[in-house]
Amino acid sequence: MRRAARRCVTFAVCVAAAATPLSACSALVPGAGSQLAPAPSGPVSTAVPAGSVTLTVSSSENSGTTRALAAAFEKLHPNVTIDYRYTAAGDYNTSLNLTLSSADAPDLALLNMIGTTVRANLVRDLDPYVAAYGWDRACPSTELDQWRASNDGRQLGSGHLWAAPAGFSLVGVYYDKALAAKLGITAPTTFADFQADLAKAKAAGAVPIQLGNLQGHASFVFQSIADSVDGAARSTAWAYGVPHATIASPGGTKGAEDLADWAKQGFLPAGANGTDLPGSVAAFAKGQGLFLFDGSWDGALIDKAMPSKAGFFALPGATASAPVTGIGTSVAYAIPTRARHPDLAAAFLNFMGSARAAQIEFSTGFMPLAHADAVIAPPGSVLADIATAWAKVNRGNGLVPFFNNTTATMADTLTSAGQELIGGRSSAAQYVAALQADWQKGHR
Amino acid sequence: MSLPTARALRRHRSGTAPRRRPIAYLYLAPALLAYTAFVALPWLHTIWLSLFTWDGVTLGTWAGLGNYRQVLSDPTMLAALEHALGFVLFFALLPVAVGLLLAAVTGGRGGRRYRVARTVLFLPQVVPLVAVGVVWRWMYAQDGTVNQALRAVGLGSLTRAWLGDFTWAYVAVGAVGTWVMTGLCLVVFQAGIQKIDTSLYEAARLDGAGPVQEFRAVTLPGLRAEIRVALTVTVIAALAGFDVVYVTTGGGPGNSTVVPGVLIYRLAFTDGQVGAACALAVALSTLICLVVLAISRLTREKP
Repeated sequence: MRRAARRCVTFAVCVAAAATPLSACSALVPGAGSQLAPAPSGPVSTAVPAGSVTLTVSSSENSGTTRALAAAFEKLHPNVTIDYRYTAAGDYNTSLNLTLSSADAPDLALLNMIGTTVRANLVRDLDPYVAAYGWDRACPSTELDQWRASNDGRQLGSGHLWAAPAGFSLVGVYYDKALAAKLGITAPTTFADFQADLAKAKAAGAVPIQLGNLQGHASFVFQSIADSVDGAARSTAWAYGVPHATIASPGGTKGAEDLADWAKQGFLPAGANGTDLPGSVAAFAKGQGLFLFDGSWDGALIDKAMPSKAGFFALPGATASAPVTGIGTSVAYAIPTRARHPDLAAAFLNFMGSARAAQIEFSTGFMPLAHADAVIAPPGSVLADIATAWAKVNRGNGLVPFFNNTTATMADTLTSAGQELIGGRSSAAQYVAALQADWQKGHR
Repeated sequence: MSLPTARALRRHRSGTAPRRRPIAYLYLAPALLAYTAFVALPWLHTIWLSLFTWDGVTLGTWAGLGNYRQVLSDPTMLAALEHALGFVLFFALLPVAVGLLLAAVTGGRGGRRYRVARTVLFLPQVVPLVAVGVVWRWMYAQDGTVNQALRAVGLGSLTRAWLGDFTWAYVAVGAVGTWVMTGLCLVVFQAGIQKIDTSLYEAARLDGAGPVQEFRAVTLPGLRAEIRVALTVTVIAALAGFDVVYVTTGGGPGNSTVVPGVLIYRLAFTDGQVGAACALAVALSTLICLVVLAISRLTREKP
C-alpha cells in the first residue's frame, strides 16, 4: 500500500516535471500549427469570371433558400456551377472552424454567428466589396451591422463587414383571427391596447398568450417589450456588447416585470416551462391562445395549419405612430480566407440583394434583405402580414438582433432565468441582474 | 485474442515457473495499439488540454491548475454534482432493487417463462438514449400520455407539464433513468440465477425456507458478482449521464436538473472554454473512478 502511494507521488512529480518544459515547447500548445494569416487585401473585381467555374458553398440552411438562389444564379451565368454542401446545423457549427481552415475550404460558408472566425483569421473582410457594389446603399444599415465586428471579433455591430445576409427572420406576434373576432378584438395598435386584449381574453376563458418556454422562448416576449420601450438603438447597443450598456434599463425592467406579472395573472399557459416551441405552435394552431410570440420561420407552418385564420404584427409601441421594433437576424455567408474564387463568391452575395432574389427568399420562408415592398405574398395568408410587418420595422430602422446571441452563454442564461421568473422562483430584478451578469462576463 | 494471455496468467498463478514470454506481447499488440490510440492517448490529451486556456481555435495559453480552480468553485457545478449523486438512486439503486425482485420472481427454474416480459423490459436498452429522451419529452408534455393516463383514472388534478415543474422535473428525469436501466439489471441477474446450483435451492427448501428466506440465503449471495457489475455500469451511467437530461430538460427548469455532463458540453461547445471543459471532465472521471473502486471493494467476495 505504502509502495503504491510512493509510486503515485513519484508519477505525479514526473508528470509535473515533464509538463513544465513541455508547455514551453510551442508545438504542443493547443491550436499551434493551424493558425492562418489574414487574407491579403488587394483590389477586388465585380466581374463574373468567364469560362467554366465551380463555386462551392457550405451551409446548414435547409429551407431551400440558398439552393433556389444558386439555381437562379446559375441560370443568369451559365458558365458557373454551384456546388452546395449541406450539413445539419449541430454538426455544421461544431465543425465550421475545421472546414474553414482546411485546404479544401469552400468559397462561401454560412455563419450562424461571428464566434471565433474573425479572431482566427478564417474569413475575409468584405468591406472592399461593400464599396465596389454599394451594398451599404441597398440595404438598411441595421441589417449589415449585424455582421460587422472588430478585428478580434469581440465587439459586434461596428468595424469591418465579415458576412453578407442572405435572408432574415423576424420575431413578432401571431394572433388567432377567429378567436379575436369572437372576443371582439382587432390587431392592437398601441401597447396599452395589447395589454387590454390580454385581460379581455383571460376574462373570456381563453389563453391570452400561448408560450413554450422549455428551451427559453419567453425571451421573445421579454425582448419584444424591452426593444419597444428602449428603442432599437439602445437595445441593439446592449445586444452588440457596447461598453457600459445595461439591460437594467426602463425597457428591460418593464419587460421582466410584465412577463412575471402576466405569468402571475394566468395570461400564460400553466405548462409553459415544460412545453417546447413546436409544442406551443401546435397548441396555438389548435386555438389554444390568442397571441403567440414567434418567428417568421413558422409562418408557412401556421398558415397551413390555420389557413387565413392567423394574423401577424410587430409589437406596437406606446403610441400608434411610434416606430416599431422587431427581433431579427439573418443567415449570412462569409468568404473564407482560403476561398479559391473570392470575387465570384462576392458576385453571388451581391445577387442575393437583387429584386429577383427577394422573391425567392420570401417564398422559401425568409424576409428579403432589400426590395421588401416588391415581394408578392399569397393574398389572405399570414405571410402577407409578415411581409407588411417586416417592411414597417425596416422603415424605422427598427431591427434588433436576438439577445440570445449577445454572449456565447446568453441563450442558456435566458432559458434558466426565464424559467425561474415564470415559475415564480425569482423576481424581475433578479432576472435582469442574471442577464446583466452574463453580459458582463461575456464582454469583459 | 485474450486466450493465450489468460492461459499464461493461470499458469503464472498456479505456481509453475514464472517465465517471461516476449511472444505474449505480440498477441497483446493489436489490442494494446487500439487501446492506446483510441482510449489512452485521447485521455492523456484531455488532461493536457485541461491545463490550458483554449477556445478550440486560436492559440492556447498555459493555465496550470487554474481551470480546476475555476470549475470546482462554480456554484452551479456543486448543484450539478449533487444532482448526479441523487441520480444514483434512480439510475442504479432502484433498477438494481427492482431488477433483483423481478429476477427472483421470473428467474429460477428454467427461465423460459416470461420471455416476452423480459424482452419488453430490456427494450429501452436497445433504443438510443436520445430517442428515449425525445419520446419521454412527448409523454411528459402538457397533453402527453402521462397526463392522459392520469386524467383517465380520475387524477386530473395532478397533471402538469412535468419537465417544466421545479419540484417534479428532477423526479421525472430520474424515472426515465430507472425505466432504461431496470431491463439491463433484470437480464444480468436472470443470467446469474441460471448458474446458481439448483441443489442449493433444494437444500434451502428442505430446511423449510420460504421464498423470502430462499432469496436472502441463496439468490442474493449467488448474485454478488452480477450485482457488482450492474452497480458499476449503472452508477457510471448516473454520474456521467448527459443524453437523457440534455434532450428532456437541458438542465432546466432553472438549473434544477443540471448535471456535470451538461456543464461540460456547455463549456466546450457553447462557451468555447475547451480547457475548463476538459478540467471538469477529468475531475468527473476521477470521481467516477473513486466511486467504482469503492463499489468493487464493498461487493468483493470474502476470502
